[in-house]
Amino acid sequence: MSFEISKEKNEIKENEKSAINIALAGNPNVGKSVIFNQLTGLSQTIGNWPGKTVEKKTGSLDFLGYKFRIVDLPGIYSLSTYTLEEIVSRQYIISDEVDLIINVIDATNLERNLFFTFQLLDLKVPMILAINQMDILRKRHINLNFEKLEEIFKLPVLPVVAVHGKGVHELLEEAIEMVVYKFPHSHYNGTEPENCSHHGHDYYREVHLSDQNNTPNECSREKFEFPDLNELFEYGKEIEYKIKRLQSEIEKHNKQISKFKYPSRFLAIKLLEEDSEIIEIFGKNPDLGYILKNAEKYRNELENMHGEDIHTIISSEIYNKINKIIDEVQEIQPEKERKHDRLTDKLEHITTHSFFGYIILILVILGVYYFTFNFGDFFGGLIDGGFSKLSEYVYNTFGEENIFISVLWDGGVGGFFGAISGVLVYVVPFFLIIEILQDSGYLPRVAFLMDRAMHAIGVHGKSIITMILGFGCNVAGCAGCRIMETEREKRISIALTSLIPCAAVLTVVMGLVGRYLGIGWVLLLFIINFAVILLVGRILNKSMPGSCTELIMEMHEYRRPNFSVILKQTWVRSKEFIFKALPLLVILGISLEIILIFRLLDPINIILSPITVVWLGLPAVTGVFLIYGILRKELTLALLLILADSIGITLLGLLSPIQIFVFSLVTMLYVPCFATIVVIAKQTDWKYALQITLLEITIALLIGGSIYWIYTIFMAI
Amino acid sequence: MRRVKGTPTHQGISLIKCLTECNDGQELTVVNVNSGRGAKMRLANLGIIPGSKIIKKQSAPFRGPVELNVKGTSIVIGRGLAAKINVRCNNDCQT
Ligand SMILES: Nc1nc2c(ncn2[C@@H]2O[C@H](COP(=O)(O)OP(=O)(O)OP(=O)(O)O)[C@@H](O)[C@H]2O)c(=O)[nH]1
Ligand SMILES: [Mg+2]
Repeated sequence: MSFEISKEKNEIKENEKSAINIALAGNPNVGKSVIFNQLTGLSQTIGNWPGKTVEKKTGSLDFLGYKFRIVDLPGIYSLSTYTLEEIVSRQYIISDEVDLIINVIDATNLERNLFFTFQLLDLKVPMILAINQMDILRKRHINLNFEKLEEIFKLPVLPVVAVHGKGVHELLEEAIEMVVYKFPHSHYNGTEPENCSHHGHDYYREVHLSDQNNTPNECSREKFEFPDLNELFEYGKEIEYKIKRLQSEIEKHNKQISKFKYPSRFLAIKLLEEDSEIIEIFGKNPDLGYILKNAEKYRNELENMHGEDIHTIISSEIYNKINKIIDEVQEIQPEKERKHDRLTDKLEHITTHSFFGYIILILVILGVYYFTFNFGDFFGGLIDGGFSKLSEYVYNTFGEENIFISVLWDGGVGGFFGAISGVLVYVVPFFLIIEILQDSGYLPRVAFLMDRAMHAIGVHGKSIITMILGFGCNVAGCAGCRIMETEREKRISIALTSLIPCAAVLTVVMGLVGRYLGIGWVLLLFIINFAVILLVGRILNKSMPGSCTELIMEMHEYRRPNFSVILKQTWVRSKEFIFKALPLLVILGISLEIILIFRLLDPINIILSPITVVWLGLPAVTGVFLIYGILRKELTLALLLILADSIGITLLGLLSPIQIFVFSLVTMLYVPCFATIVVIAKQTDWKYALQITLLEITIALLIGGSIYWIYTIFMAI
Repeated sequence: MRRVKGTPTHQGISLIKCLTECNDGQELTVVNVNSGRGAKMRLANLGIIPGSKIIKKQSAPFRGPVELNVKGTSIVIGRGLAAKINVRCNNDCQT
């Protein structure tokens, strides 16, 4: 079985038409992204909490001679309109871009997962059920009857252990069978004759399709018929009657309706459910107005009869069906009662405990910083020491006054080593810890503990998760704010997340304040930063209309962190840093040397000096560094180091302790980095992104200046 | 159609309470949910519907959210919403 992985995006676009297009859909946290990564070799974020994938992501691969284009969708619980993701996903699933859905199901949570499966089935798109996390199910001594499942759903149902890559490629084999052999309306058929003679194709047929009556010289045999699942769907009498009535009314207008691609039964149910998107479709067309009226009448009748609202009625119907199915297919081996994992239970208990939970939270946060600081300080010192030895040697051989040496060695190589010893050594351990926190499942516990406190700043507990991600990188954190349900909460979360000191800021603070002033001052900086977050949260909460919604979140069991996943993701993030920031630093380092030699910085520094020199009491050179810092915040520190190095003094010769403190504080707060601003604009709009930026500049200057002046006045007395 | 009708006087002794009033560890049956449409829909999707059996596991301090066991998995629900879910105790627990 040989398959290649192609990662280029353009390639994907080109091949869109001839590839088999598969969408991975399912509940949050079931393992969709693990499967996606296994198949495409890409690295989507994986972790043990719901809501990691916030935007659909495309990858591709070749397998058995076929091209596949795979799309990883955000996890959702239903195809209603509760969140934006739900509408976007269902529109995508019925679009021409999808040939087949792989519905990824968490075997340990069948009931809730099958609820979503029922919704997907209503869309009548070819589908494979992938029952994932079978390893855990087996550990619990629960058997699943796959044959029975296939019999019930009349669709392929396959066992998968995504983390070990088991059963993953079998999904594709099944996909070939469904799309190529039974479903002629797919894009794939456009290039069918060519693929007919394909080697992989023949191999495939011999091995897997020998028992089918496909004739070899005919490519598209029967049309893929979506199985008749009427029996499975059959709800209670009254509901079913009303659905059928609506359905037949809708089918009379097939011409107008068919362009929306939703099957008539799906439309009928959604009309009953008062689904905003579907109602809009019908509302636009005067011919269909009467259907809307009927739907409303039926809904009222049903709600009156049951004394419940329509969602409850329909959900109960589905859950009743599911209960019956589960009774049929699931068998718990009684003699081997599920052995409780003692350690997870204890961990679960203590990390959500009303007292120890908070103690542990504080310890975790302190531990993260302590570990990062010590790790970085130790290795940073080693590298610095090594570099000075090397420098001595270089100066001795080439002479210190050599202009080329000063540009290339101090600027280029110095920039490189400065970035490693000043920045990378802090970033890597920090990323590592964030990944461990993500993959263990600790984050939802923090949301549980902090939900109440977060209400004070206008958001619910989930927002703390995006803020913790923001510690790693504000860009990721702000993008993650899409998991917030309302626009108001999304905006507040974004503003707060953009104020979180990210890994880059952390390096500046650790490398400057930590190294030269001591860890106590670092703590003070963080306290100021969090006070600012609280303040901004309160202001936004008061000023934005509306109120805070309530938390509804699934909290998955702890999992032993998967170290290969953690190391891989830490590497992916660090790699991003290495390949983006390091070259930039080397180039900037070299250009800085040249600029310094020719005194090109002076004009900019003079323009900025009323702010930097007069108000903040910093040396004039810092003006340009702060501008570079908008690009990437760690540049402020790295460039300072390069500058000090090229003048031949230590940082303490360049900045006094109070200047170090003020400079770090301003770097911490003064503006989200450029990439973050872009993400904020994408998630909301440019106006909001600029508002946040302006707000943060004001806050940084206000606090930074005040501290400097208070200090100056204090010293003068 | 539904397994349990949500009538308050179903078993005579058992009291209808809101979720926040119940003790930790109690096994409960949902009677009804009095929230807005959106939250109700989400809860229904997650399996919190009249008649479903749930266990209140714990609640966070300072009037924090409530953790429930629903269909074998944990669901956390904000305090304000939990107060709108009415339940009945399955075993004797008139406290
Ligand atoms: N034991 C075990 N764990 C798995 C398996 N598949 C996935 N996981 C774990 O399940 C968690 C969630 O996996 P993801 O792939 O991130 O889930 P997702 O469906 O993409 O989630 P969202 O993007 O949040 O919707 C991770 O911690 C995985 O390591 C499996 O087969 N066995
Ligand atoms: Mg995902």
